[in-house]
Amino acid sequence: MKKLLSILLAAIMVLSMVSAVAEEEITLTLWSIATESDSSHQSFIDAIAAFEAANPGVKIAHDTTANEAYKTKIKAAMSSGEGLPDIFFTWGMGFLGEFVDAGRVLNLDAYYPTYAAELPEVMTGNSTYNGSHYGVPYSMSIVALYANMDLLKKAGWEDIPATYEDMIKCCEDLKAAGIIPFGVSGKELWCLSEYVEPLVIKSIGGAKLRDIYNGVATWNDPGVVKAIAAFQDMVTKEYFDPSAIALGNDEVKNNFIAGKYAFYQNGSWNNGDIGKAEIAPNVKVGTFPVLDPENATLMQMIGGPNNTLAVTATTQYPDLAAKAAFELGKFLSNADYTSGANLPCWTADPNAEVANDLIPAVANMVAQADDMVLFGDNFLSADAANTYLDYIGQAFAGDITAEEFAEGLASELN
Amino acid sequence: MKKSFGYKLNIFLFLLPALILFIGVLIAPIFMSLSYSFTEWNGLKDPIFIGLDNYKELFTSKSINIMRALKNSLLLAGLSVFIQLTFALWLALKLGKKPVGERAYLSIFFMPVLISTVVIGQLWLKIYNPDYGVLNLALKSLGLESWTRVWLGDKKTVLWACFVPILWQYVGYHMLLMYAGIKGVPTELCEAAMLDGCTEGQLNRYIIIPYIKPILRVSVIFAVTGSLKSFDLIYVLTNGGPNHATEVPSTLMINLLFLRNRYGMGSTIAVMLIVLCFVFALLINLVFKEEK
Amino acid sequence: MNAQNKQAIDSAPKKKGIVRKIAVYAVLIFWAFVSLFPVYWMLTFSLKNNAEIFGENVIGLPKYWVWENYTRALGVGNMPRYFVNSIVVTVATILITLVTSVMASYALTRLKWKGSKTMNKFFMLGLTIPIHASIVPLYTTLAKVSMLNTYWALIIPYSAFSLAMGILISIGFMGDIPYDLDEAAFLDGCGVWGIFFRVIVPLMTPAVATVGIYTFLQCWNELMFANVFISRDVLKTLPVGIQSLSGQYTTEWGPIGAALSLATIPTLLVYVFLSKQIQESFIAGAVKG
Repeated sequence: MKKLLSILLAAIMVLSMVSAVAEEEITLTLWSIATESDSSHQSFIDAIAAFEAANPGVKIAHDTTANEAYKTKIKAAMSSGEGLPDIFFTWGMGFLGEFVDAGRVLNLDAYYPTYAAELPEVMTGNSTYNGSHYGVPYSMSIVALYANMDLLKKAGWEDIPATYEDMIKCCEDLKAAGIIPFGVSGKELWCLSEYVEPLVIKSIGGAKLRDIYNGVATWNDPGVVKAIAAFQDMVTKEYFDPSAIALGNDEVKNNFIAGKYAFYQNGSWNNGDIGKAEIAPNVKVGTFPVLDPENATLMQMIGGPNNTLAVTATTQYPDLAAKAAFELGKFLSNADYTSGANLPCWTADPNAEVANDLIPAVANMVAQADDMVLFGDNFLSADAANTYLDYIGQAFAGDITAEEFAEGLASELN
Repeated sequence: MKKSFGYKLNIFLFLLPALILFIGVLIAPIFMSLSYSFTEWNGLKDPIFIGLDNYKELFTSKSINIMRALKNSLLLAGLSVFIQLTFALWLALKLGKKPVGERAYLSIFFMPVLISTVVIGQLWLKIYNPDYGVLNLALKSLGLESWTRVWLGDKKTVLWACFVPILWQYVGYHMLLMYAGIKGVPTELCEAAMLDGCTEGQLNRYIIIPYIKPILRVSVIFAVTGSLKSFDLIYVLTNGGPNHATEVPSTLMINLLFLRNRYGMGSTIAVMLIVLCFVFALLINLVFKEEK
Repeated sequence: MNAQNKQAIDSAPKKKGIVRKIAVYAVLIFWAFVSLFPVYWMLTFSLKNNAEIFGENVIGLPKYWVWENYTRALGVGNMPRYFVNSIVVTVATILITLVTSVMASYALTRLKWKGSKTMNKFFMLGLTIPIHASIVPLYTTLAKVSMLNTYWALIIPYSAFSLAMGILISIGFMGDIPYDLDEAAFLDGCGVWGIFFRVIVPLMTPAVATVGIYTFLQCWNELMFANVFISRDVLKTLPVGIQSLSGQYTTEWGPIGAALSLATIPTLLVYVFLSKQIQESFIAGAVKG
């Protein structure tokens, strides 16, 4: 009996070892900001399921952290270089750039050609450093001006004002009708930049703005002063929600959806939430009018490919992780597009059904774009970006004048 | 007991676990922070030694503005000592007189101490909410519409709005300590004083308060160092905003570390905080010693 | 006492005394109300819908009891998991703090050696060191030994930061144990370890409760380390969980209220049953020092 038992045990052990070898499972870890409340949450789940189905023996462990906490987490992990995931979500330009600079990110040049036909080179600009690809962009966003047409009609406006003068008139009419023109979160400074940057680009033009971000041109520019003065003018005329400073972006977005504001200017990633809300049929999406027609055009916009996946340099499975990053990116690009959350970076299926009408409108705007400059807080490095946002916050609060804004940034960042 | 080598070894063995924890987690990091504070380090590349530049920048940079953060936390420390502790002492003295429901008051006053600061922060965020918060709704229903504010957004009110929950939460803690001290005052002492015709005020002034001075010292130290270190509630309520109006050294440090990737500068603030806490603890001890 | 004064006491009508008494009670009752109100409000709005919270019925009891808020808070946010994590971290921290601080206190007070006073002062530095000061070095060290995103990443720092108070309390209690007992045990042939285990440890039970309660509150509520050292959702503790949950439900107050209540109710229940011990533990922590 004893003998039998030991033989049996041995047999089981051998069997289990064999099966362990045969099905040795590789787990790739993925960090992202697609928490349950994020509009890309389901897209990520689907993308992972699809990848796992196509690659038996590979599992992807998905770890999600909300936006601000994610930034802390990824930076902290990058700083030590330990406990890093294999694949991580990132924003392009400055944010990813610092990690690339520190040698923490895998160079994807060897893998990119396989996907080059579906992921146009032009889309990878914000994740290319020194001519090498370090990221897989999957969706792009622009700053969009969402307008509640019902409220505009109440104030006597049939369309989004096309000139700056009309915009001011429209805001006065809205105020007279007891409607708050703009919703913004003053608590989250990047939301203020969603108002400032369109004003700046529509005052000085895209090329100049890019030069300023790159440190080639100075912040101390009359066009910048003009834009900030216009912004502060909107503040003093009370075009923004008086509670703005205490509200978070989610609250502001929900207020807009609840019909509290005539306009809400923010990233086009809000298409998903606004598009599926009851208010959707009354919402029109557009872009902020031109401030200085001599330097800028209406179709110069803020935005670009920014949601990106990248692979860490320390991954145990570089080939597999790179493949996963591209495959997931491709899937996410499409999934975010069809769900109406975002614009695709990858060539989209022309017959794809899109969940809401806002995305095609935004896609149309992008197609007509004269120029696109990435969001300032993505473009700049972390330290510079926060200084820049600080100045915007001070301008919003009226602590500094437009001139002080320009001079201050010029002295701190140039 | 012999003081042999074995005896000494045993002493060492008893201390060892505590020493490892204490030195490894508290002491060594202080020196590491100190060494980081002499470097420019974004946490990614290798640190570059820059001597005292961080310290110079810390006290001169307008965008960091450490002075505002220090002013805020010192103001909080002052309020803690003069308002929170005074009120706590008053409560403790009154409860020491055995009012009806003494235990119930004691338990209720102490309760806020036990609740997580995150919960308290979230609750007060809701209380202060400009549109639906209890505070503004209450003011409106009292016909004081003009008093309503964006409490956490208005530069004039935000600092006070942040301090109220902090002071509120720990009144009970200090009250409890003082109450325990008052209970420890020998009853004969009080009775004798009362027989001599002491009024209640005189009894408090000349007998009880001097008797509980050691506890008052502990309370003052906790209140002051606690204010210098304060973080949780401010982090939840405003994270230093709007426009840095409620910045305190620890929120500033966390922002420099994790938003701006300035590990060297963050460590400089950490070093400054440690030094400040020690200096104040020493000063308070001195003040109380001299009064003796 | 002079005549004038005497007269004042005698004739100062009792009325004045009564008025003062009423005033004192009024303040006491007012402060009791102020202390209780936020918790009362939290518990009630956790059972209301937005319409009631936002104006119809701000401070009354709920008209319709929306228990669904609780199921939602439990369902979406991984709340049960956060709970378990907080318990694991807290219990382990309490155990480590107890063992290390009782051992150290024994060496500091019952064993005679030259440096014991200095060593005690050294440990007491821990009371003033701000927890945030060590965050970067701890982070990089934990990362180097691959301990981020494990329970240890919280348990070890929490234990270290509770140590000073643990030693303070233990020393206080140990002082109450008569030295005769050590002598007797020594004469019975016990060594330092024998005395420790047979005499000291059994008599330290009151300290266990005190240290335990103090440590519990320290780590049950800690936010900073928990936020930075733990990024995996399945390992998050309650404060971090609640904080991120509140970020996700900014406009639906009911479920947030439910989550806040869920995190608070256990502590409150413990307090209702153990209020005296809890208060005493705080007193011991400060007074014995």
